[in-house]
Amino acid sequence: MDQTTTSPQTTHKARSFSFSWAGLLPFLLPILLIVIWQVSVSAGWVDSQLLPSPLAVIQDGIALWQTGELPKNISISLYRATTGFVLGGSIGFILGLANGLSMFSRRLLDSSIQMLRNIPHLSLIPLVIILLGIGETAKISLVTIGVMFPIYINTFHGITSVDPNLMEMGHAYGLSKWEQFTKIIFPGALPTILVGVRYALGVMWTTLIVAETISSNSGIGYMATNAQEFMDMATVLLCIVIYALLGKLSDLIAKALESLCLSWQNQGGASRE
Amino acid sequence: MSHKPRFKIALLLLALVAWLAVAVYGYTQTITSTSSDGKKLTRVVVGYQKVDPADISRQRGELAKKMKAKGYKVVFKEFQSGAALMTALKSGNIDYARLGDTPPVVNQASGLDLVYIGAGASKEYGTGVLVGKNSGITSIKQLKGKRIAYAKGTAAEFTIIQVLAKAGLTTKDVTLVNMDQGAASVAFAKGNVDAWVTWDPYTATAQVQQDAKLLTNAKGLAMNRDFVVATRKYAKNHTKVSSLLIKYMGQDMTWATKHPTELIDMLSKTLKLSKKIMKLTVERRTFSMAPVTDAIVAEQQKIADVFYEQGIITKKIDINDALLDSK
Repeated sequence: MDQTTTSPQTTHKARSFSFSWAGLLPFLLPILLIVIWQVSVSAGWVDSQLLPSPLAVIQDGIALWQTGELPKNISISLYRATTGFVLGGSIGFILGLANGLSMFSRRLLDSSIQMLRNIPHLSLIPLVIILLGIGETAKISLVTIGVMFPIYINTFHGITSVDPNLMEMGHAYGLSKWEQFTKIIFPGALPTILVGVRYALGVMWTTLIVAETISSNSGIGYMATNAQEFMDMATVLLCIVIYALLGKLSDLIAKALESLCLSWQNQGGASRE
Repeated sequence: MSHKPRFKIALLLLALVAWLAVAVYGYTQTITSTSSDGKKLTRVVVGYQKVDPADISRQRGELAKKMKAKGYKVVFKEFQSGAALMTALKSGNIDYARLGDTPPVVNQASGLDLVYIGAGASKEYGTGVLVGKNSGITSIKQLKGKRIAYAKGTAAEFTIIQVLAKAGLTTKDVTLVNMDQGAASVAFAKGNVDAWVTWDPYTATAQVQQDAKLLTNAKGLAMNRDFVVATRKYAKNHTKVSSLLIKYMGQDMTWATKHPTELIDMLSKTLKLSKKIMKLTVERRTFSMAPVTDAIVAEQQKIADVFYEQGIITKKIDINDALLDSK
């Protein structure tokens, strides 16, 4: 739908005069924000002690990169995030699948999962420390918990909302249970599942900040809370920018995945007709 | 038409591979700390917060070497909050915890069977009440009706009670706002609160960066010492470790007192604060770490009694119950 923002060259409609504009439009707000920010600091409208300029933030980033602190923290955060995402995503997907397909499993598990879903991650920290200690396991499992729910809900929702007419048709054609799943249920649920993936990628980063306040001396979350504690505003802002960029990057990957999977689905559908 | 998806797939794969490579690199970074030669050594885990005595020992490295010679492997774990540190101590994830003076009192009152292992030097000169340079507040009496930022359950809570009491005021005469250090420093700088009760290096940071005035320090009112505590269960069976730990940490503190320049360098690098701030911090305090004396027990008892009167803790406690040889 909003392909104009990702790949303007593939859009077939309305690209006649505003090719470059369409490509630039998504960056307009961030650039405007940075310009206003820089100007207001340079002009002395805000105290640079409280809000350092974008340039100061970039300089801070370069300095931290040179000491090796930034690459180390980013890579460690990425490791925790990825492991947590893979684990949580798999658990959420399997649970969603089970509850979407089996009434028994749904009755047994769904209400418990719904109860757990809304617990704020911050309040789980003492419990996580008691049960899992203070090592990497504790941090990764918190991300796992965060990622699990969006994937679960979307998988579950995707499967249960597959068009019943299609199911009936599959029945009429005499498809086996497995064929029903691979030909109708899974492709039908896929768009919703992918929305879950995109959402979960966002949750992954927000949970990670919380997770990295459990006894750690590495990671971007640690860098952020530590800088905040000692009012090192340049680093605080740097961490915010890094989170924003990582968030955008993961969203781009998810979107690419989405358009790939769904284009296959469309082609398949067209050839079958 | 068909080359587009293929190109896209390649790009996506490339991004995923790069992502994974960085993540794997991150994984290798996390395991470097738990290196080999710890087989025969007994692990001793110490929880600390930035720039406390345990952190100074960790960065200097002497303590770990000396403990290793005695057959112990010291592992330092950093915590960002006293609450998480306390939970880790309770659950046995760490053996020793470095705390301020009020958390042991509050936790003893809530039923945790902890024991004091060692006590550090007083920080009464760097702890106190800050006011803005243009606030016009010059005496404690003028704090009446003002908004004061503090962090609940920390040395700041005891300090503000004591400071107000000195001028015949109580906490009911002012509006206390509970905030962590990061939020309080911003609120104080923006003038959202009139005063801020805190300790070094926050006091020094506000004094240097914002020209804030230290209305009064905590001299004679609140010592704000550092303590090393353990659970009784652990301390009972590890008296030798405790005495070695305090002895070596004490030696590091003597070093710290004698070498202010190196210490200022070390701490300003850790905290990314200017040398000027660290100089102010270091020069108005001394460092020590030694077993708890009767006088220190009496100081802690005073905190417990005041907190009980104020209703901050609901149980009357005897600090002597939190010493190893008391039961």
